[in-house]
Amino acid sequence: MLKNIKYTLLSLLIVFKHLFKKPVTLEYPEKKFTVGDFFRGKPVLNSNCSRCGTCLKVCPSGAIKIKQDEFIIDLKKCIFCGNCTFYCPQKAINMSKNYELATSKKDELKLIYNIGGKNEYNT
Amino acid sequence: MKKLKLNLGPQHPSTHGVLRLILELEGEKILSCEPDVGYLHRGLEKMAERLSYIQYLPLVDRIDYLASFFYSELLCRTVEKALGIELDKKVCMIRVLLLELNRISSHLLWIGAYLMDLGATSPFFYTMREREMILKLFEKITGQRMMNNYFVYGGVRHDIFALDDIECIINTIEKKILDYENIITENPIFLQRTKNKGIISKETGLNGSITGVNLRASGINLDLRKNDYLYSDINYKSIILETGDSWDRYKARILEIIESCKIVKQTLDYLQKTSGLKQNLINPIGIKLPEGSFYSEIEAPRGLASVYIKSTGEKTPYRLKWRTGSYYAVNLLRKLLINEHLNDAIAIAGSLDIILPEVDK
Repeated sequence: MLKNIKYTLLSLLIVFKHLFKKPVTLEYPEKKFTVGDFFRGKPVLNSNCSRCGTCLKVCPSGAIKIKQDEFIIDLKKCIFCGNCTFYCPQKAINMSKNYELATSKKDELKLIYNIGGKNEYNT
Repeated sequence: MKKLKLNLGPQHPSTHGVLRLILELEGEKILSCEPDVGYLHRGLEKMAERLSYIQYLPLVDRIDYLASFFYSELLCRTVEKALGIELDKKVCMIRVLLLELNRISSHLLWIGAYLMDLGATSPFFYTMREREMILKLFEKITGQRMMNNYFVYGGVRHDIFALDDIECIINTIEKKILDYENIITENPIFLQRTKNKGIISKETGLNGSITGVNLRASGINLDLRKNDYLYSDINYKSIILETGDSWDRYKARILEIIESCKIVKQTLDYLQKTSGLKQNLINPIGIKLPEGSFYSEIEAPRGLASVYIKSTGEKTPYRLKWRTGSYYAVNLLRKLLINEHLNDAIAIAGSLDIILPEVDK
């Protein structure tokens, strides 16, 4: 009985202590959290792309397509695994720190890059 | 008395997913229980037959979203075994470090969620606060909070850093564990809900094929880490308790967090002394496993997890099969819930640490 009272009071004390501590949450839209260097956000293509097609073969969800002059990343399909970034021999795809990808237009989720004027990709 | 059939779930806050239990009741007493699984089936085994090994690796993180490193490690280890790749000591240590941090975060979430099932709100916030520190660290090191995809065949993606942060986190968690013990462990209400409830005897446990913490709480010494090559240089003791009731399963998890903290400290000691990283990465395109079948297993937070790959020498496996701990725990509910009261059903089911994505795959 005495033990029960002791532990009930002890737990109340620990809960009570937390009244005077700082909040651990973040008021998100007003304050934004910072992310590390290796964060995997929106994928971005730079001009190094040599159309080797490695990214097509390692992408698990088929989010990347290469048409004649266009390199298309479909963010609706992308699972942000980072395989394309890690295995690209030219380091042409980077995962940026941009994590706010919500939009009201579907077209904005299809990233189209022009890579015309380079060797034809053929497999 | 009139018998009543009751559907507990599939949408029930305390099943941590979508589990449907078909209960037959007589008053408050449960006469029979039939678990109905499959609401979260994503076809992860069938998907493997379509995708190459490098494409399949990011998807295995989703089998158990709370312990994603373990399944990554399992697939990596099987492919490495098949291709005869040897790992550097440092890579092994990095893997052990992240696996144990993941085990801590998984157990912390369980403690919070279980206490929430029993009606205590505060411990949930405290454990989530500590888990958040680990997830932030994972985001810093690997790039994402939960679907880490950090282990690759033959090594890890990049060298580990932020070792001081890890040390700080481990010290904080070791302190906070004392708080949890004070709030929860001897709390009279918690004792009444869990002591001598849902007892798994040694025979029931072994016949039901449950593994991991649930079995060790019943007094059976089965810890795969003892024979694991990753843990070969690490000293720790596996937690073995006696009764096998809900309270023991809780206590075993608390003690396991403390042991995991010790393992993390040992790996930190090693990593702080060494620099540079030697990896045996393989060409990602066209990984072909030799003909034959390959099997490997690991001690995941929810019990023995294993993978079996049958290969015909092509780019994709012929058949890939996962064995996960939660599946057998769900099956055990048939026996455990009989002759218990309905209000104890949640307390017993919760204590087994069931994760539904792992059950359905």
